[in-house]
Amino acid sequence: MIPLENFLILSAILFATGLYGVLARRSAILILMSVELMLAAVSINFIAFASYLDGDAFSGLIFALFVITVAAAEVGLALGIVLRLFRERQTAYVDSADSMKW
Amino acid sequence: MTESDAVLLLALFLIPLGTAALLMLVPSRERSLIVGLTAASSLAMFVISLYVFVAYDFNGAQFQGVDAWNYMHNVGLLGEEGIQLKVGIDGIAAAMVLLTGIVILPGTWVSWKIQNRMKDFFILLYILTAGVFGTFVMLDMFMWFLLYETALLPMYLLIAVWGSTRKEYGAMKLMMMLLAGSILIFTAIFALYAEAGLGTFDMVDLYAFDYDEDFQKIYFPMVAVGCGILAAMFPFHSWSPDGHASAPTAVSMLHAGVLMKLGAFGIIRLGFQMMPEGGEFWAPALILVGITAALYGAISALRQDDLKLMTGFSSISHMGYVMLGLGTMNVIGWTGAVLQMFAHGIMTALFFLLIGAMYDQSHNRDIPNFSGMAKQMPIWTVFFVIAGLASLGLPGMSGFVAEVHIFIGTFRAYPVVGGLAVLTAAITATYLLRMFSQVFFGEFNPRWSELKEITYAERAGAAVLAGTILLLGLWPSPWVDRIATTIETTIPGVHL
Amino acid sequence: MEQVWILPAIPFATFLVLGLFNRFIPRRGDGLAVLGMAAVVVLVGVVLADFQNFFVDGIFTPGGEHAYAEEWVDIGQGFFLIEFSTYVDSVTMVMLPVVSFVALMVLVYSIGYMKGEQRYGWYFAALSLFVSAMLLLVISGNLLQLYLAWEGVGLASYLLIGFYWERQAAAEAAKKAFITTRIGDVGLLIGIILLWRVTGSFDIQEIIHAAQEGVFDQTYLTVAMIFLFAGAAGKSAQFPFHVWLPDAMEGPTPVSALIHAATMVVAGVYLVARMLPVYDEVLIARDVVLYTGLLTALMAATMGLVATDIKRVLAFSTVSQLGFMFVALGVGALTAAMFHLFTHAFFKSLLFLGSGSVIHATDEQEVQELGGLRKKMPVTTITFTIGSLALAGLPFLAGFWSKDEILHDLQKHGPMWAYVVLAATAALTAIYTTRVVLLTFFGKPKNQQAYDRAHESPPIMTVPLMILAALAIVAGFVTYTGVGEALGFVGGIGEVVYLPAEGAHRFELDWAFAAGASATAVAGVVIGVAYWWGDAKRAAAARNWAPELHQLFARRYYIDELYQAVINNVVMGASRVVAWFDKKVVNETGVDGATQFIGFLGYRLKFLQTGRIPNYALGMALGVAALAVVAIGTT
Repeated sequence: MIPLENFLILSAILFATGLYGVLARRSAILILMSVELMLAAVSINFIAFASYLDGDAFSGLIFALFVITVAAAEVGLALGIVLRLFRERQTAYVDSADSMKW
Repeated sequence: MTESDAVLLLALFLIPLGTAALLMLVPSRERSLIVGLTAASSLAMFVISLYVFVAYDFNGAQFQGVDAWNYMHNVGLLGEEGIQLKVGIDGIAAAMVLLTGIVILPGTWVSWKIQNRMKDFFILLYILTAGVFGTFVMLDMFMWFLLYETALLPMYLLIAVWGSTRKEYGAMKLMMMLLAGSILIFTAIFALYAEAGLGTFDMVDLYAFDYDEDFQKIYFPMVAVGCGILAAMFPFHSWSPDGHASAPTAVSMLHAGVLMKLGAFGIIRLGFQMMPEGGEFWAPALILVGITAALYGAISALRQDDLKLMTGFSSISHMGYVMLGLGTMNVIGWTGAVLQMFAHGIMTALFFLLIGAMYDQSHNRDIPNFSGMAKQMPIWTVFFVIAGLASLGLPGMSGFVAEVHIFIGTFRAYPVVGGLAVLTAAITATYLLRMFSQVFFGEFNPRWSELKEITYAERAGAAVLAGTILLLGLWPSPWVDRIATTIETTIPGVHL
Repeated sequence: MEQVWILPAIPFATFLVLGLFNRFIPRRGDGLAVLGMAAVVVLVGVVLADFQNFFVDGIFTPGGEHAYAEEWVDIGQGFFLIEFSTYVDSVTMVMLPVVSFVALMVLVYSIGYMKGEQRYGWYFAALSLFVSAMLLLVISGNLLQLYLAWEGVGLASYLLIGFYWERQAAAEAAKKAFITTRIGDVGLLIGIILLWRVTGSFDIQEIIHAAQEGVFDQTYLTVAMIFLFAGAAGKSAQFPFHVWLPDAMEGPTPVSALIHAATMVVAGVYLVARMLPVYDEVLIARDVVLYTGLLTALMAATMGLVATDIKRVLAFSTVSQLGFMFVALGVGALTAAMFHLFTHAFFKSLLFLGSGSVIHATDEQEVQELGGLRKKMPVTTITFTIGSLALAGLPFLAGFWSKDEILHDLQKHGPMWAYVVLAATAALTAIYTTRVVLLTFFGKPKNQQAYDRAHESPPIMTVPLMILAALAIVAGFVTYTGVGEALGFVGGIGEVVYLPAEGAHRFELDWAFAAGASATAVAGVVIGVAYWWGDAKRAAAARNWAPELHQLFARRYYIDELYQAVINNVVMGASRVVAWFDKKVVNETGVDGATQFIGFLGYRLKFLQTGRIPNYALGMALGVAALAVVAIGTT
């Protein structure tokens, strides 16, 4: 068996990469892609734990299914907002939406 | 006083609340109806509070007229008793109830001349009164606090809408400082509740509970400062002069007369009765704060040119005496403190009534602008002199009875402070007499030849208050008996 | 004797009726006031008769004099007890006739003097209040009740000094009187409480017994008695509290006669006399009394020498004579002090009423505007002169006997130099009183209009003058055993009024001493005549010879200026500091500062709302991280 830690490290690397993407990227699409990456990483984490530790119970797998569903819904909504933003500001860069400030 | 009288205690705060609700239904233009309703209501409150005071049996149980109605129990962290509407009074509360009943009467009468939005004024005033009465009769901490806030919140609107002289600033300052105090009280109440672990806010049960000493040493000052802010305890007194100066007459009367005593009452109820060891530990601090306030208030009053500011500082000085009395931790000093709460309440209500009466006509409160007023308004002068003499502690009036108890109690505990306290009385005489000779006597200032004597309503109100001053001054035993026996038997740590 | 509380009750009832209803009573109630007073005088006579029964074998045996006690405040079942109690003994028996009789004379006189004045009814009401409080004071059995009456007397004095309140000077004088005595009263109250602390009682007799049994620590008792004396000094206008009495002359003259000559100002003497057995235990305190009285007597006599307003001269004279009484008390001579109080009341009130007669007739108070009035006002002149000679201590007049007794006791019990000083003061007394008589009634009139206005006063004013003059002549004879017995007592005043330590003593005339004292008095009169007869050339020369000294006396030793400077700098300075502190520190820094700080924080923190999504994302990430750390940390 592949050691559990390998999956966890993979998941951690993917999560970190996704986090970096969310915080550092300007383009809205790229941020959404990074969020997807984070969600995938989390799913890997849950599935790994489910298979290695949970035995007969598979709540981790159920969790992963939920994550996928939620991700899909959320991306649909988010892309809609990004499209709207693009139509207003002619750019998909996130820092153009800064009028609700002090 | 029996169990059945608990309904009367309940009525004490339901009547003003009910009147306020009724008034909301009355159209604003029906002035005579408003006058009639409030007259009946204030009279009812007075009669009930008088009955409550007289019926309190000072040889009987500590808390009398006790009864409880459940509000919220067996939910979450609350136990069997949880939060209840529990009423009951002891001797101290009885005296305070009487004070409120006496002050609300002239307070109502003089407010009948308000032209602008009289109905709304009375609604708010009566909500305030309901809160005051409720706080005095409640024996459940949660409800106590609820009604305490009910007494506090209308102040903002009352001052900001119907006030004078920088009313927005005065109202805001007063509210902010009092609410800061409320936060402290709130925290302390929940701490007391949690620490006891009994799942109830019932005060009687919590009095019996023995709190840990360190807990008491931390939370007693929280209660003392929180309630003390309302009682204009030094150094948190600065809302008082500005607040009183900008408030309308009846509000000043009720506020300085009754609400400030609410603060001291809170220190007794929530502070000393709940946490006696904490109280004993912090008593010297109270003495220090008290004597500082007394001297500070008196010396500041010497400087003031605005009559209401002078009276405001005078109130700070007299409340300092109350703190002093409470800090002595002996029965005589405490009796004096409670007597002073009563006596000063009446006296200051009279002061504000008279000042307001004059201000309504002249729109000026500056001492240097007036002279020889005794010629133009003799009845006003006579009442003012009575109030002033009571304030400086002339024997035969209520102020002396209270002050002599406080002085003697303080002397027993700290002779030097006692000497300072007596000296403060001399300083009080100075600023009052200075005001008298400036405002009442001397050459008449013709600028005020248009002024008329005070109205019959004002005269009647002043007579009620002056009469109480003389009654307490000449025949103090009803008050002393009720107050002293309560203190002797129920406040742990306070001994003869 | 048990109903002796009726004595103050009658004038108090008069006060209430007149105060509230004087507009509706015929003649504004002056008759009612006089009637009430007359009733009191009669009742005093009854009390006197009753009192005489308490003498068993020539010794005053107390019994039943403490009969009336009514509980007022009771905490802890007697632990802290304030009651209304009365106590009558020989000291009281001196005060009662003095107060009631002089009050009656003054009331009758006032009907004439105050005729046509505004607030006529209120005048009589306030006077009745005063008499009520004074009577209550002298029959009080406990110190707290005495304090109550003490303040009541002060209140009445305030109302009466400020009677002409349209005049700012009168209002100021009333305020000064009240505040000065109030400061003394601080001492009195402290003294009372200190005594209570040890004995647990306010009752005077209990305190005296406790002191005699040595319950008190010496230092503690000395301090307490000195505080008590501060109150007495305030009320009796002794140094340094004497400043209010000269100014109190702003009030109507009959008020000065009653309050500031015969009754209120002797309240201090009464208090010390009452507590004299306790003072005997702490001789240091008693010495304070002695030397204060001595100093005051001398100072006031010098100030009276140069004063130009008739009433002020008399005021200084009163202060000086009160000093004499305190000197007597200071050597433990109760008899002498009370005797002088007794005679002084009569001749001093006579002098004041006489000056009132002059003022009423001429509208002038300054001696520089008067003169030669004897032709136009004969009765006033004669009675005034009799009063002056009594004050000077001319032989066989009332003042001679009492002053002689004081000097005699001082010489026996006190230091020699004190005796010399007091004797000199007695001579000064004779000088200044002669001066006033000469400048007012003899010589040539200095102001013709004043002289033209002068006329003899109506009988309602002159009859009291004559009665008092008669008393000024004969009152001194009560010192003789024979006279005392004729009046129903066991003997002369020395056998009725005495301190147990003194013992009852028969009066025996010490001829040598009496001759010496008379000589001083006569010498004083002669000097006075020499300097001020005619156009007073010698006096003017003397004034020019030592102008600074004259200024010193005339400006009352600059003490008023000193007090005003202290008040301005210390008191008003303190209030300026406190007001500054309150405004700057508490208000602006504390309260307003706190609100401004919160506002400032808000202003700074708002910059967190950049509106930029990446910033918010970062915030969320950091928050989650923090929560995770906390969650993992606590598990």
